[in-house]
Amino acid sequence: MMPIWTKSGKKHAVTLLKVQDCHVLRYVSKEESGGKTSKLLVGGKNASPFSKSESAMEIFKEAGVPRKQKVTTFNVTDDALVKPGTPLYAAHFRPGQFVDVTAKTIGKGFQGVMKRWGFKGQPASHGQTKTHRRPGAISTNKASKVYRGKKMPGKMGNIYRTSFGLKVWRINTKHDIIYVNGSVPGHTNCLVKVRDSKLPTCKDSNKNPPFPTFFADGDEKLPEDLYDEEVFQFTDPSVTY
Amino acid sequence: FSSSGNRVNSDGKPAKFQPPPKPVIIDKQKQREERRFLSPEFIPPRGRTDPLKFYIERKDMIQRRKVFNIPEFYVGSILAVTTADPYANDKASRFVGICIQRGGKGLGATFVLRNVIEDQGVEICYELYNPRIQAIEVLRLEKRLDDNLMYLRDALPEYSTFDVNMKPVSRLDHEEIPVNKLQVRMKPKPWSKRWERPKYNIKGIKFELPEKKMKAAQKWSQPWLEFDMLREYDTSKIEEKIWKEVSEELKK
Repeated sequence: MMPIWTKSGKKHAVTLLKVQDCHVLRYVSKEESGGKTSKLLVGGKNASPFSKSESAMEIFKEAGVPRKQKVTTFNVTDDALVKPGTPLYAAHFRPGQFVDVTAKTIGKGFQGVMKRWGFKGQPASHGQTKTHRRPGAISTNKASKVYRGKKMPGKMGNIYRTSFGLKVWRINTKHDIIYVNGSVPGHTNCLVKVRDSKLPTCKDSNKNPPFPTFFADGDEKLPEDLYDEEVFQFTDPSVTY
Repeated sequence: FSSSGNRVNSDGKPAKFQPPPKPVIIDKQKQREERRFLSPEFIPPRGRTDPLKFYIERKDMIQRRKVFNIPEFYVGSILAVTTADPYANDKASRFVGICIQRGGKGLGATFVLRNVIEDQGVEICYELYNPRIQAIEVLRLEKRLDDNLMYLRDALPEYSTFDVNMKPVSRLDHEEIPVNKLQVRMKPKPWSKRWERPKYNIKGIKFELPEKKMKAAQKWSQPWLEFDMLREYDTSKIEEKIWKEVSEELKK
């Protein structure tokens, strides 16, 4: 995470996400998947092909791509389909867009009710016998049962969570890095899924993305760094009022 | 025909030949090159972060340094910082103070300046790479005995007062940075932190506490810490590489 300053002098914290060897793996049509839209399977970071069975490696062989560590699905409309085997780059996103980032949260193991659900516990003194971090009552007398989903101790973390509506401040096309506002679930160097935001307030900003994606061998030559209009670039002189 | 045979000691015995002392050549060029200063925020902290992140951050830091001069300074030097302030009369505010702490790594590096203005102690934490900073001048460049001068909060106010209209002290380029071995006198206890304890390892305070209290403070010493191999972080090679990279970029 890094600080980034706007031209008005305000500071924002920014997370750096690297797009590492992303390729489109397979096209799944609407009828095949049974959903409302067709899906595209996309694979992330390259990994060793020797620790997976032959059947699992079929998808990668068809696409002509080395084995990927993480495979995710994206719901895509029919006009935005991309041929399997095309590489995806950070320039697929542009500064000013809003983005949702999904990742597995940091695993905390088996945790008690105070850390996991934020319960208040009991006082440390004034006669409390062996009860300082316990949940207390778990149901009422009338219910005479414990409801499903009751907050109790258990394994915390290591589940998929999404941060919505994160603004993209800057894109580095040379190293394929996306600078995304705020924090993102997951530990450092974990694998993350970045998707155009589905929030209704962010629909306007996602109007003109590179469609269907940014092709490296196309005609468009982008500069090394793409900044949002409000971002203070370090080549400019100091901010004055 | 040498006259060394005729040399006689004060005792009357023959003296041994003493060769003349070798001339000491001070090569000023070499001295200047040997003294390299790499700002501490360039050294990456120990962790599992990808080195690519530090490389990209360093590029940004070097870019900022090309446009705006961040001088060399240490904890204990007196600086004057002008920042752009939308609510001030001239739209700029100037603060003079002694640097008591340098923290943070990368673009978020900060330094805290302390001064006593009209009997009120004021500390301001500035970010080195904040674009609102218009100028950083070093009025007096010197080091102190400690890396962290937070104890000045509990010292007598005379040690933290500096003239706001102080003139910069002139110094030559190749001179070594003077170390101010000042021992500071403290206000009576209680202090904000127990500075006599060995964990702070403070050398710049003239402790006027009784011997008994000083010995009792040594109870909290952890003599095994300096031998702990897991805490070792040798930055010499990393510093060399980064120094080369930074100096080459800045020369361009």
